[in-house]
Amino acid sequence: MSKPFFTVYCLIIYAFLLAPIAVVVIASFNAGAFLTFPPQGLSFRWYLVFFNNEVFMRAIRTSLWIAALTTVISGIIGTMAAMFYVTHAGKLKETVRVAMLAPLLLPEVLTAISLLFFVYSVGLGTQNLVGMIVGHVLITLPFVFINVSASMESYDPAWSLAAQSLGAGRFTRFRRIMLPLIKPGVIGGCLFAFIISFDVFTISFMLKGVGMSTLPIQLFDYLRTNFTPEAAAVSTCSIVLTMAVVVISEKVLGLRIHRF
Amino acid sequence: MIIPPRKRLGPLLLIAPAAILLCVFLVLPYLNIVVMSFRMPGQGTPYGPGFTLGNYGKFFSDFFYVQQVINTLWIGFLTTFLCLILGYPVAWQLARGASTFRALGYALVLSPLLVGIVIRSYGWTILLGNNGIINRTLTGWGLIDGPLPLMYNALGIIIALVHVFLPFMILPIMSAIQGIDPSLEAAARSLGASKVTSFRRITLPLSLPGIQAGCILVFVLSLSAYVTPSLIGGLRVKTMAVTVVDALIDTFQWPFGSALALMLSVTGAIFVVIFGRLTVMKWKA
Repeated sequence: MSKPFFTVYCLIIYAFLLAPIAVVVIASFNAGAFLTFPPQGLSFRWYLVFFNNEVFMRAIRTSLWIAALTTVISGIIGTMAAMFYVTHAGKLKETVRVAMLAPLLLPEVLTAISLLFFVYSVGLGTQNLVGMIVGHVLITLPFVFINVSASMESYDPAWSLAAQSLGAGRFTRFRRIMLPLIKPGVIGGCLFAFIISFDVFTISFMLKGVGMSTLPIQLFDYLRTNFTPEAAAVSTCSIVLTMAVVVISEKVLGLRIHRF
Repeated sequence: MIIPPRKRLGPLLLIAPAAILLCVFLVLPYLNIVVMSFRMPGQGTPYGPGFTLGNYGKFFSDFFYVQQVINTLWIGFLTTFLCLILGYPVAWQLARGASTFRALGYALVLSPLLVGIVIRSYGWTILLGNNGIINRTLTGWGLIDGPLPLMYNALGIIIALVHVFLPFMILPIMSAIQGIDPSLEAAARSLGASKVTSFRRITLPLSLPGIQAGCILVFVLSLSAYVTPSLIGGLRVKTMAVTVVDALIDTFQWPFGSALALMLSVTGAIFVVIFGRLTVMKWKA
């Protein structure tokens, strides 16, 4: 393949990857009542409709709450598991890795179904958030694990030993030696956990209780019956929110790495 | 060094929460779903007392469900194949291309993953619908008279699935190619191999592990995809995952739904194992 042809080919693929997202964003500024292209003039009309739609606003709040809780739980459990995996797993290393990645390798639909049955058979039901949070933690755990264990690859246990010999306790060793070193991995993992939890559909769809729809579920329900650009406005806000989380974490938390 | 007994237990406490979580909320539920598939269908309840093989009997006796598994597998194959064809050159460029393009390209490949699957599928409905951008543009240019059937069929599902899962094909292949020592290709070229030969004999075989990982990932993901097929396929074309979820959520047929889900997973797993064997053999040859 000649070089220009090759470059053009790749550009087409990139365009293909971005097209549906760009289309959603453009459609959200449509002034008309239906999704027409080119848009019938530009307006923020559908954003106003969306911001005044209590159903969607509640869904966003639910999503943010669940994502935040999931991130904290998944971040802690995943980081602990990654520490075990790198420093103590020994012969079990491969087993631990496969087990930790299992939620990622198993079909999400099957995991969601099995969790739904399970919460019912143990009497938890779906009227509380437990099932939903557990599902989200399961799905996000591999991402925390991958990121943290990758950042620990270069970790030398001798550093911890040196601190110990200087009298540092276990918690001090973790806080002063290990945490600063693995912090980029922890932040990256938590970032992924938040975004995945915010966007995950099937798990939430199966485990949601009445009146606890997350944003993707609400959007999906809406799209089944409605075709107004309001859905595009909702989607665009969701995209912007995700991007904001990425940028803020990189700028704000990225700076704090040096402050440790 | 004397290790106090407390220290030996300490590390296990690190893995304990994850281990408990995975055992209680992943292993047990998966065993439960197998048990569920043998339960009696219930009247007014999700499942009744006693056990039966009837759910599997219903699957095999109704050609509708067998046909649907075949359709779903077929959609999975095509999606995987297209992802490979479309993704490989991009993966190669990300791994070996000019560095200016690389960072931007990498961001472009990753960015769709940051957008929820509902939104991405929605984007495709705007593009592919009968009144969608593609049909309107083509009609506007006078190239077609009526709208092309792009949505509510297998074609639309495959297009959208390829888009949704393409990054999962590109990323493993990219890291496989990055792991190949460029001097191997240079050596082949200096020994007179053409670009094509060097690619066919050096790069392609060495990137096979990445291809294998990407193909398995995309195949499994597309078999179990729910959102994209149900938004793009509508009520007309249903993949197995959609039928399963409907059987569980809408009609509360838990035992039968479990049997359907397991049949799809088992057939999918068989193909993954066959594929794994085939590629390993080729890898050795």
